[in-house]
This record gives sequence, structure tokens and C-alpha cells, in this order.
Amino acid sequence: MNVMSTSNVAIIIPVYNEGKVIASVVKNVLKQFDFVVCVNDGSKDNSESEIAKTKARLVNHPVNMGQGAALQTGIEYALQFPQIEYFVTFDADGQHSLADAQKMLQYLQKNKVDVVLGSRFLGTAKNMSKLKKVILKLAVRFSNATSGIKLTDTHNGLRVFNRKFAEIINITQSDMSHASEIIQRIAETKTPFKELPVTITYTDYTVAKSHNPNLNAVNIVFDTLLRKLVK
Amino acid sequence: MILIQILLVIVFALLLMRVLVSPNSSRIKAWKKIIACLFAVFAVVAVLFPEILDDLAHEVGVGRGADLLLYLLCVAFLSYVLNQYLRTKDDEYQIHKLARKIALLEAELKTKAEKK
Repeated sequence: MNVMSTSNVAIIIPVYNEGKVIASVVKNVLKQFDFVVCVNDGSKDNSESEIAKTKARLVNHPVNMGQGAALQTGIEYALQFPQIEYFVTFDADGQHSLADAQKMLQYLQKNKVDVVLGSRFLGTAKNMSKLKKVILKLAVRFSNATSGIKLTDTHNGLRVFNRKFAEIINITQSDMSHASEIIQRIAETKTPFKELPVTITYTDYTVAKSHNPNLNAVNIVFDTLLRKLVK
Repeated sequence: MILIQILLVIVFALLLMRVLVSPNSSRIKAWKKIIACLFAVFAVVAVLFPEILDDLAHEVGVGRGADLLLYLLCVAFLSYVLNQYLRTKDDEYQIHKLARKIALLEAELKTKAEKK
């Protein structure tokens, strides 16, 4: 991996009850990137003090608002700094790899696209449960049928985009439906994008954390269809 | 007129008054007021002349007026639920925008304080 300047890159990490791992994840990210924004989304645990231990910038939601809302807050925070040209969304539980983020950044800088999305189905997903795989594949089919653009992984938290897309992203879906909303935004604005393979590592921690993926999927389908209906 | 009819007509009239002359009346959209009026008139007619409802039911292929009323009630209730769901989402979005503003301002203040 060739070294390049990262002072124009903002890493945005939405944090909700990740006190056990957040400090080590953030410290790891800070080794390669200076500008790290942690949006603490009203965590009930010690996430806030854990983030405060690191050199990351901390933005505190006064109440819990959901991952989509936290991403939007992080993006708006980073947009205030004119030197930031690239935005990376990164999960707090350490399931993403920094090497993938670097690779996606390089692609974005060298090619005429505004958004680079990570795909675990082009790459590898370590220790993914069968059920999760089935649900995610269904989500991809559903998204491809409704959004108008074809992707191989629609619910991947690792995304890289430039300032142009950061300014128009405007996530309004606070919960997990934000993933479909971002895809919707790419489709409706005809933003050039690219999917690159990434590796996602499911540790015992990430597996234990994710609750009720099935119910979540129902919510996402319902909200996506409703949004189409109301528009 | 039987007692129940008198009571129901009074209740409908009071409810309509409540909608039309409430202090927040100007915030309710005009078309919603018109629908409320039509609905109240329909309710009063249905109470006073149940046979009209029966005729109407036969006209559209439903056995009894009471059944037709139930179906219409289902439609009204479901649209109410959906409307309310969307409104809650909308309110939530507004609250989130406010909370985000607070969070960003707080972060800015903290950065300024650290610089000093």
C-alpha cells in the first residue's frame, strides 16, 4: 500500500453502545487517518468516555436517533471543514478493514466516480452466518428491483465518497433503512459509483451484537416501499 | 326520533364544532375540514335515516347498511393509521434535525474552548 496524504479524508464512525471495542477500533484507524469523527448516538454504556480517551473528534447526540441519523451528523460535521475532500463511513465494531478503505479511496481519487461502495459478496465475509447471508442476498434482490441500480451488496457500512456526494446525500431515514436511502440517492442523482470487494470479519462480538436481522429486514422493506408510495 | 339518534346527532355536532373552532383551527388544512364536514353530515344522515344506508349498500352489492358502514370504517381507520405513521416519521425527522444542530454546536463550542 503506497503512502498518501490523508489530511483531506474524514473517517465517520457512528457509535451506539460500543464501549467494549470502540477505543481500540478508533486507535487503529487513527494510525492511518488524522480526521476521525465519532458520532456517539446516545449510547447507554461508556462509549463516550472511551472515545474521549482517543484523539478522535466526538459529536454527541443528545438522544438515540439511529445509525442513519448518526452518519448524517458525522457527514455534516466533516463538511464544516473545507480541507476535507473525501468521506469514509466506517462501522464501530471493527468489522471493516482499513486496507479496504485505503483501496477504495485510491480508486475514488483516480477514477471518475463520486462514490465507492464496499461489497462483501465481491470480496469475502469471514464467519458470516447462513441466515445473515440469505437475508442480505434477499435485501440485494429487493434493492436491485426497486432502486434502479444494480449492486452485489446493499447493506455494507464501508463507503467512500467525495464532497460533491456528501453535500447531496441528506440521509433522512434514521434507522437501518438509510442504506437503501443512500442507494436511492445515488440512483436518482445519477451519481457515478463503483463497487469494490471488501473483507468483513464477523467476530463473536459483532455476531452477538446484531439482533433481530429478520425484523430489521421487514422494517427496511416496509419503509422503502412506503417512501416510494408517498413520493 | 328515538333517544339514541338524538344523542348521536348531538355528539357528531359537538365533535365537528370542536374541529372547526379549535384554537389551532387555522393549522388544519382546508380540505381536511371539508372532509370532516362531509363525514359528519354522512354520519348524521346514517343515524337519522338508516334505510338510506341500506339502499346504498344494496346499490354496491353489500347485504346490509351496517356491513357497508363497517367497511367504510375500516378504510377510514387504516388511512388514519398510515397518515399518523407518516406524521410521526415527519415529526421524528424534525426532532432529529434539531438534535443534530445541538450536537454540532456543542462539538464546535468544545473545540473552541480547547483552543483557548
